[in-house]
Amino acid sequence: VTGSAVTVGERGRVFGTLQVRLTLTGTKITSITELQYPQNDPRSSEISQFAIPTLRAETLTAQGASIDSVSGATYTSAAYAQSVQAALDQAKS
Amino acid sequence: VRHVEQVMGTAVSFDVRTSLGPELAPALREAVRVLHRADAVFSTYRPDSDIERLARGEIEPADCAAEMAEVFALCAELERETGGYFSARYRGRLDPTGVVKGWAVQRASELLSAAGSTAHCVNGGGDVQTVGEPQSGRAWRIGIAHPLEAGALASVVEVRGLAVATSGSAERGAHVINPLTGRPANELASVTVVGPQLIRADAYATAAFAMGRPALDWLASVAGYEALLIAPDGSAWATEGFTGTRD
Repeated sequence: VTGSAVTVGERGRVFGTLQVRLTLTGTKITSITELQYPQNDPRSSEISQFAIPTLRAETLTAQGASIDSVSGATYTSAAYAQSVQAALDQAKS
Repeated sequence: VRHVEQVMGTAVSFDVRTSLGPELAPALREAVRVLHRADAVFSTYRPDSDIERLARGEIEPADCAAEMAEVFALCAELERETGGYFSARYRGRLDPTGVVKGWAVQRASELLSAAGSTAHCVNGGGDVQTVGEPQSGRAWRIGIAHPLEAGALASVVEVRGLAVATSGSAERGAHVINPLTGRPANELASVTVVGPQLIRADAYATAAFAMGRPALDWLASVAGYEALLIAPDGSAWATEGFTGTRD
């Protein structure tokens, strides 16, 4: 399933889009592919390259909880979690 | 509709489940504007913010943005409610940073409600305000990040129209100072507070973190708010009304 694209903004302007595709076996996520990630400028590109492998690993670890949001989470995870959850919501409906 | 905004040194994510049609884009723009405005007025990292100019004596309280008086009144109220464990005074200067994020996120959420949204969730760097429910008959499921294991959840709490705020070392390393002793608070690894208003949930979590273990009895006495406390050795305590899952 492919999640809806999540826009990522800074200072009120949108500087990129994050979108993931999940492969599910039953209800278990077996793999995640990033179809789009913020790379409009060198900085967002650098952040994406640094953060995405970590986020992908964390998602595969924390999956199954089927959550809408996280309290106390590291801030880099916000867009990623949103996109993964959007894909999961679509798988359920 | 989902949007993530980088602002106030963190990321604020919006998840709007009400179909607002053409009303949505301007409502979201206004909500995002509120966050940037809060940053411009209150950021202690921006030399041109009102709060920094006030600290340097370049402007008088009367010259400050109207929000300044509102936030300081709120800080005074919260300081009273928490017996001084939440404080906007730090090393002899005024620093309302502890209240600004929760205040701004709650205002952004209220703006979406005013625009007609009856179901949304706004998460500002781990402090969450929910409105309504994501789907008919289902509550928002909010994971609570485990303070001792990166990527793991300590609990999942189901809420409808409540806020969830966590104070602790998971996000940025230990940085809460006990305002009554001036020393870093280290009895707890994290405190999560669940209740109607994000401003209060956030301030109570910060106060409880500074207070340490006795915070459990204090939070149990606060009407409408429930809490989960986790110690550095992994042991956890919750108030009687805390409904989150527990291992």
